[in-house]
Amino acid sequence: MITQRGFVVTFAGVLLLTSGFSFVNFYFILLGVYLLIGLVVTLPLFALTANIAGIEVDRQIDKVKVFSGDFLRIRVTIRNISRRHFDFIEVHDQYPETWILAIGENFIASRIEPGSSIIFSYILQARMRGRYFIGPTEVIMRDRLGFHYYKRTLKAHTEVLVYPTWKDVRRMEALGKQRQLGLMFGAHRTKTVGMGSDFVGFREYVPGDEFRLIDWKTSAKRGDMVIKQFEMEKNIQVICMVDTSGSMGNGYPENTKLEYAIRAAVLLTHIGLERKDLIGTCVFSDIVHSYVPPGTRPNHMYDVLEALAGAEPRGWSDYETAISYVVQQTKKRSFFIWLTDLEESPAPLLNAMKALVANGHKAMVISPFGPWFEAPVGQFGPVEKVLSEAVSEELWERRNKIAQALARFSIPVVNVGPEDFLPTIIKTYEQAKQKGVAMF
Amino acid sequence: MATFAGMAYFVYSLLDSNDIWHWAAPYDFVVTVFRLLSLLLFFMTSTMINGLAAAFSGSVPNDVIVGLYNTLVLRSWYMQPYGVSDPMTNLADVWSSFQSNLASVLTALWDNTFLFLYFLFAGIGIALFLQSLVRMDHKFVGGAFLSIQSILILAAYKLLVVPNLDPFPSDFLVFLSNNVQILALISFAYLEVSYQMIYSYSVGKPIEDREETLKKQLLALRQATRKQDAIERGEKVSTTGMSRTSGATAFSFLREAIERKIVGTQDALENLDAISDVRRLQIFVDELLQTDSKAKDELTAKAASPSSVYVIGSTITGSAIRFLSVIAIAFIFLNPNVLILLLSLPPGIRYSIELLQPEIILLLLVPILLAFPFASMVITWFSRREIVETEKLTKEEKEAERQRKREFARRRKEAAKARKARAKARKRRKGLETEVDEWDKALEETYRR
Repeated sequence: MITQRGFVVTFAGVLLLTSGFSFVNFYFILLGVYLLIGLVVTLPLFALTANIAGIEVDRQIDKVKVFSGDFLRIRVTIRNISRRHFDFIEVHDQYPETWILAIGENFIASRIEPGSSIIFSYILQARMRGRYFIGPTEVIMRDRLGFHYYKRTLKAHTEVLVYPTWKDVRRMEALGKQRQLGLMFGAHRTKTVGMGSDFVGFREYVPGDEFRLIDWKTSAKRGDMVIKQFEMEKNIQVICMVDTSGSMGNGYPENTKLEYAIRAAVLLTHIGLERKDLIGTCVFSDIVHSYVPPGTRPNHMYDVLEALAGAEPRGWSDYETAISYVVQQTKKRSFFIWLTDLEESPAPLLNAMKALVANGHKAMVISPFGPWFEAPVGQFGPVEKVLSEAVSEELWERRNKIAQALARFSIPVVNVGPEDFLPTIIKTYEQAKQKGVAMF
Repeated sequence: MATFAGMAYFVYSLLDSNDIWHWAAPYDFVVTVFRLLSLLLFFMTSTMINGLAAAFSGSVPNDVIVGLYNTLVLRSWYMQPYGVSDPMTNLADVWSSFQSNLASVLTALWDNTFLFLYFLFAGIGIALFLQSLVRMDHKFVGGAFLSIQSILILAAYKLLVVPNLDPFPSDFLVFLSNNVQILALISFAYLEVSYQMIYSYSVGKPIEDREETLKKQLLALRQATRKQDAIERGEKVSTTGMSRTSGATAFSFLREAIERKIVGTQDALENLDAISDVRRLQIFVDELLQTDSKAKDELTAKAASPSSVYVIGSTITGSAIRFLSVIAIAFIFLNPNVLILLLSLPPGIRYSIELLQPEIILLLLVPILLAFPFASMVITWFSRREIVETEKLTKEEKEAERQRKREFARRRKEAAKARKARAKARKRRKGLETEVDEWDKALEETYRR
């Protein structure tokens, strides 16, 4: 392949040759021939020596699974396994477009001796969750005068799984620490009266109560039979249903409805695990992409993160398929939190909810409202403004209808925007804990 | 530098016989252009005045035209009057003078333009050469070379005496010692040496740049975190100081963080993110440098700097080989005797006048020129350059991937089946449906049951 510099020399050579022919001047012809011959004379030699199959590139990274926003060092080793000198070699290691090069450079230009190696490294910041590939690596070799080059692309990819961001959890932990109350700040115990060892109070005896529960001393004082009550702490089981249909991908990049839903799911799982509750996660659209059953295993959080990391906004929401899949696998009564934008046909959703309630589960819907995630109305022109308001109203009306319908099954619908998505999920969880929904 | 000076000097001395290096040429050219402009201005203004006067008063103001000519042309040319001593008074004289002046100015401009262009190309050539010394870019080298050669091309176009090798010497030694050949060789050497120097520079420079950039980035990072600390302590910090002193503007990561901090729309949360990103990066880098002693060298790729001895040695030998082969091949191309000897042409062609024409070299030049890339192409085919890169997946990985795909296909199939069954059941229940809003329909259905 000829470089830009080679083209300049070709142009000069042809210009001089044509000038020589026009003016019958042998000086121009001579110089033109010099340039053109000079351009190609060493080409076979270069082809003979520049066998870049002798170059090996090896890429090492510190971690293959990182959180979004984390930093990652990439080390690239270039080895010359041939017996030749490579005069001018450029190595470009490619990284995903959405990532940011934080420190260093992802390319190097140098010469490499036979049998020797060059190591360079750079630091990247992984920006968006998902499955990414670092690579391929491009090796370009130029000749001495930079007239010709050979390029080789090494397809060696390094796969990196980027988990959803952990910043919400970090922020919450930081807030907890600031208040000096620890992670359990604001937690309410889910109590079950009747069993356990913690004393709650007294109540009047009713026929059928066990005699051993009668507190004789108090009964003697009151002159009536009273029962001593105890309570015990219970945990709840929550299943977070994350809708990954195409419409969930709307909104600003990195701030789509799906991204917020995923952040909410991560936060919910983390809080739940901290308090020893069972939190499961189901990622679905027209099929169930992944389901992590409720559990408290040490790796549970990572399973959830892995399931969420690969979620892509695609397809449509098939609530019925999702619920039949999850209900089949969930024997205990659970509290289902749906993170969905409710932009599908209502009948399947209602059927799914019916099936859910019929199986003895409880549910609530936290629904990101599309227009709140998109461009602020202030940025629109008058026509777009009117249109967007009309669309918003239409959507809002539909939403009210579905909320009414779901209210019949005691399933509340909370409309959220980007600001109140995460606080709402925390609040919902706290309320569920207080009420003792879906205890096990 | 010596090759450029040699090339420029040769061009200067070989063209000197034409007496073109008048140092007043640029001045003459500028004066001539101004004269032409003043004549054109006079013509346009007088046409406008005539038109306006004819429209409003019906008569042509001759005095105004004469006065205008005196002011615009004669007075402004006063420094070097074109054979006129007094102001003109007669309109007919004015127009005849205008015509003769225009003709003489245009002729002078034709000559002056060429003289001016020689100087212009020489000036551009020198300017680009000086630029190439500082910037080490091939564009400047090529530009300087083309500018100096353009002087000769222009001179040849103007039919001046330009260096020529006609008849082309048949003796190699005579050819070698010829002044014109030396000029061509020096010109070629200028390109060759300059490109070699750019190569040597470009091999070492990226490593130095890399180190410099890293230093700047680390410094900018440290200052940014210090500044954040200061802000947190409630101290006042100048907002622009950091980017100016440490080159933080050249550091995209930090710049983005700073921009997000200053003009961010989501205010508090975004700021918090930007600050925490910078701080975490600082912690990451600190830890990296502490735990891995080679980390800094790898970031700067210090070990990759090439040895200068090899670069210089191979440059000299490479250039020498190129010079010799280029001269030898060019001599063979341009010498009809060699050509005749090589091809053993029939007498009709051998004694043809066409063989003395320069275009005859194309006969050999084109196939031989193309032979080199062809040879390299053949070499490329035979060397094992085109290795097909394959992604190495282990058996387990392949099996896992296949399993994953199978599982998804199964789920999709099951979901479709279940959907169909549900739809069937629904249809059986409902019978024919009327055109109602699907939301209302769903609602009604819910309330009905």
